[in-house]
Amino acid sequence: MELETRGLSVTLSRKEIVKQASIRVQEKEFVGLLGPNGSGKTTLLKSIYRVLKPSGGVVLLDGREMNTIPYRETAKRMGVVSQFNNLNFDFTVEDMVLMGRTPHKNAFDRDTKEDYRIAEEALRRVEMLDFRERSFLTLSGGEKQRIILARALAQQVEMLILDEPINHLDIKYQIQIMDVVKSLGVGVLAALHDLNLTLMYCTYVYVLKNGQIVAHGPTEEVIDAQLIREIYDVDCSVERHPVSGKLHVTFFSRL
Amino acid sequence: MKRKHLNPRHAALSTAIVIGIFALILSILVAVTIGAVKVSLSDVYRIILYQLTHISIGDPGILTGGTLYEIVWNLRLPRVLMGAVIGILLSMCGVVMQATVQNPLADPYILGISSGASLGATFSIMIGAAAVFTGVLASMGTAFWAFFGALGAMALVMVLARMGGGRITSAKLVLAGSVVGSLCSAFTNMMIYIGKDAENMKTVTYWLLGSMVSARWDKILLPGILMAAGLIFFLTQMRNLNTLLLGDEAAITLGVDLTKWRRIYMIATSLLSAVAVCTCGIVGFVGLMIPHIVRGFAGSDHRFLLPLAALTGGIFLIWADVLARVMMANSEIPLGVITSAVGAPIFVYMMVKKSYGFGGKD
Repeated sequence: MELETRGLSVTLSRKEIVKQASIRVQEKEFVGLLGPNGSGKTTLLKSIYRVLKPSGGVVLLDGREMNTIPYRETAKRMGVVSQFNNLNFDFTVEDMVLMGRTPHKNAFDRDTKEDYRIAEEALRRVEMLDFRERSFLTLSGGEKQRIILARALAQQVEMLILDEPINHLDIKYQIQIMDVVKSLGVGVLAALHDLNLTLMYCTYVYVLKNGQIVAHGPTEEVIDAQLIREIYDVDCSVERHPVSGKLHVTFFSRL
Repeated sequence: MKRKHLNPRHAALSTAIVIGIFALILSILVAVTIGAVKVSLSDVYRIILYQLTHISIGDPGILTGGTLYEIVWNLRLPRVLMGAVIGILLSMCGVVMQATVQNPLADPYILGISSGASLGATFSIMIGAAAVFTGVLASMGTAFWAFFGALGAMALVMVLARMGGGRITSAKLVLAGSVVGSLCSAFTNMMIYIGKDAENMKTVTYWLLGSMVSARWDKILLPGILMAAGLIFFLTQMRNLNTLLLGDEAAITLGVDLTKWRRIYMIATSLLSAVAVCTCGIVGFVGLMIPHIVRGFAGSDHRFLLPLAALTGGIFLIWADVLARVMMANSEIPLGVITSAVGAPIFVYMMVKKSYGFGGKD
């Protein structure tokens, strides 16, 4: 599945948050979306996963205009792990993950053995299987985030949209979650803050500043000390790591 | 071996639904035997059995006429059934409303329904439609004006919630509901204040506190049919309702067309609660409390919450009405007084026990 935006603009409260952004995620490609706080990453993603209406431009799913596709259809193909906001109602962890099956179900369908197997597999992948009977609201932030990912996995989609999916996680689970997502072999569009993780996992990046795409290309070609200084206003050096063989960013304090 | 239920908790809750159905039937059968007038058990059941199946047991004299027949068949049974119907309607609407506005403190009256209905009923009782209108409108009774008021208030709430553009959010709905609520109360209170007739005032008060007194066979038909239709409709919506609880974003990304369904659910619950209100006044607390209590032991999954809350609501209102009938000799206590007086302590108990958090973590 291929996801594309053409000249996408989003206006919130008369302010243009995203300006003419054109991005593209090809089949099975892991694409990163970088940018400082307030650069419009979340807004761009929200208009892609249909929570916000763009004020201009189009979102295309395999060349079809997104807003002509029923919600249920997009939910079968595109899963979302967004920044977590609080819930007013409680569910068990297992029920929460089973809800990922919703787009595949008709009104009177019961949860089948297959659904339970899919949910169980998703929980195992995020190492939360022992928590299945627990109440969701009693989990820690990081645990909740892993459950939400498990729910998206249970959706069995071809494309995942991730909005800072690892911001509540310790380093072990950051790597675990990114590994899980990478190993799925699906298309990914992920807003990330950690440049080193971006270099580890993303093959292509878009860099957003003040709502505009200011740079894009293969990750290793785009990320360098000069760009990081321009975008984030910090000093750093970018060098190839002797063990991993990947580019690595080291930041310098201003003191 | 093939397991029918893949989750043991679900099996337990399914059993609870079956028990609930039996408890509801049992409640109806027991509640018809209780009342201000002593009627022997055998007479009660003989009359009902004869009316349902035309099987006559013993002395046929009381089966088709007379005081006992009137009391059992034309007063008590419709009243008990009306309690069940209204209880089911209100709790069902409460469950759906809470999911729709994603707020556990919502109740079926939240969209200004109760205040609009009160205004309509008060107008009809205190001023009288004939004093203002001519023709068809002048001949309409209190129930019509209550229904009219409820729908008017609901429409106003929807318009207010949509003002300024953008999606109808739960916060906007709750705010618009309170605004319309205070507006309607202001007019209602004004009419009561300038009213002179003491008898009318009593009628208004009685209406505002809810009562099953007027329950007759012909008045059960409409709420009964709508209750059944509503129940069947919402039972097909359980997955959608579950995803609504996860918030706007999650619902959309799980494929639920939020704007469309939220509007449908709001209109459906508003109509159903307006019917309940115009049939027997404002029975407070049921639509808020019953879903809460049931959620406390059954969880938020609508596949179990919805049927269990409906059954619990029906049973609760049957017994609340029994109390209303028998607690004071030669007089009735308004139903709304009972539901609140009984409901509040149960509610506090649930809160203290913390088996259910109102939202988020403790």
